[in-house]
Amino acid sequence: MRRVAIVGAGLTKFYRNAQETPKELAYEAARMALDSCEMKLSDIDCVVMGTAPDAFDGVHMKGEYLADGAGAYRKPYMRHFVGGGTGVLSPIHGWFHVASGMFDTCLVVAEEKMSSAYPHPAGAFLTIFDHTTEQPLYPTLIWIFAIEMNRFMTTWGYKKEDIALVAVKNKRNALDHPSAQLGAEITVQDVLNSEIMAWPVNRLDISPTSDGAAAIVLAAEHVARRVTEKPIWIDGVGWCLDTAYWCTRDLYYPDYVEVAARMAYKMAGIKEPSKEIHVAEPYDPFTYKELHHIEGLLLAPRGKSVEMLKDGYFNRDGNLPTCPSGGALGVGNPISATGLMKIIEIFLQLRGEAGKRQVPGKPTCGLAQAWGDLMQVGTVVVMRS
Amino acid sequence: MALIERFQKVTDVTYWEGQIPMSYIYTVGRAGEKFFREMINGKIFGAKCNQCNLIYVPPRIYCEKCFERLEENYLEVGTKGKVHTFTQCYETYDGVRKEVPSIVAVIRIDGTEGGFVHWLGEVEFKDVYFGMPVEAVFKDKKEREGSILDIKYFRPIK
Ligand SMILES: [Zn+2]
Repeated sequence: MRRVAIVGAGLTKFYRNAQETPKELAYEAARMALDSCEMKLSDIDCVVMGTAPDAFDGVHMKGEYLADGAGAYRKPYMRHFVGGGTGVLSPIHGWFHVASGMFDTCLVVAEEKMSSAYPHPAGAFLTIFDHTTEQPLYPTLIWIFAIEMNRFMTTWGYKKEDIALVAVKNKRNALDHPSAQLGAEITVQDVLNSEIMAWPVNRLDISPTSDGAAAIVLAAEHVARRVTEKPIWIDGVGWCLDTAYWCTRDLYYPDYVEVAARMAYKMAGIKEPSKEIHVAEPYDPFTYKELHHIEGLLLAPRGKSVEMLKDGYFNRDGNLPTCPSGGALGVGNPISATGLMKIIEIFLQLRGEAGKRQVPGKPTCGLAQAWGDLMQVGTVVVMRS
Repeated sequence: MALIERFQKVTDVTYWEGQIPMSYIYTVGRAGEKFFREMINGKIFGAKCNQCNLIYVPPRIYCEKCFERLEENYLEVGTKGKVHTFTQCYETYDGVRKEVPSIVAVIRIDGTEGGFVHWLGEVEFKDVYFGMPVEAVFKDKKEREGSILDIKYFRPIK
């Protein structure tokens, strides 16, 4: 397998109710990624597209619809989709194309426009549930997260007000992100006072409805060294799906994230993740999910992540900064684009180009992770400068 | 950056209102046929994998772990279980506020690895706990139609 680097990146602002069509969003991100490394569309050998349920954009077969906006006109093109885990599967999918020796360059684009669906995009989630045993109960996505959060909290004796610190941290971090939709200074009390959605989940525990797109350019080593002085290498990739029968799982621990992480760590030669990873972007569509994932990624001992959070361990200037971007809770959550936004954050952090968001200590190894489908997929990428 | 500033509503710009007009008839499948026909009889069925020594509820025609066929191994599993985890829900699936919040729980059926999500009834939210023994409450027999809704809810075993 050949070594593969990220050499360029582009990210739109995340909004609710963007005027741009999905294709236009994809174009803005893709064009920005190409411009960032002074490449032209003609320098790109192939394109991969990450985009989640067709029901969000309301375009059936939206992979095909988005192709031209993503720069795939008359090029080899593939779409991949694992729900919320899509955006971190995107660089993995692109990595295959280049690592295999098949292509020297790959443009990786992720797009989601959630605000077209009404009365609320949450309605699009009804049909992800089992059609005969679950849909008749009209389940909501928030239900199943509330059910999981309760299991996680009660198993470890975590308190709601402590988990709320994730929202405080991430929304504050997002104030420094130019793409952010929901950067804010909030308090734990604000989270607890926000509307109750499904106990123990309040409004401010949840990431927003967002529109946005992200893109990166991948290159084989000989091209990467020509294009940039600061290539960021994809050194480890992992992914894993658990059973779709989510009711049969324990729910307090994401085993599938651990399997994906171990796969990526092994490939990257990482023995002690909590020491060797300097900065991480775990997926945080809900406050508890960041902690759930930190434990699954073996970046904190099981049952200890909340204590570490309270000690400031995961702050931007802490021992292991997590979601220095502001994450899904702060920057926003256009599903697949969020995962790729996290990859881009690690790319910028490892290049020392994250501006006001830069974590101290010149990090050389970072990780991004996403999660999704029916609470069953983990996708992990380890990157080094 | 070409993106314009945020709109209050997507309808503040020129738009076209459309829909994806499809409806579906979902078969319940081979294992589902057994499960839902027995539900009309007020019974819950599962399927046992002898290789893995575990019982799936609802039943399946295959074991996802070892890939054995399980169609010869359907069995009745009773109507009692334990609350595995739960929530109280304040919004409907499409974001509308509910007048009365509902309690939703994952029920683990006793003696099995399986179970499903359903409502809890005849109980206050504050009294629900992990491991709480519960039983299925079925609709009257003549109202049952072979649906997961033939179970009205689960209630605590007194
Ligand atoms: Zn088996």
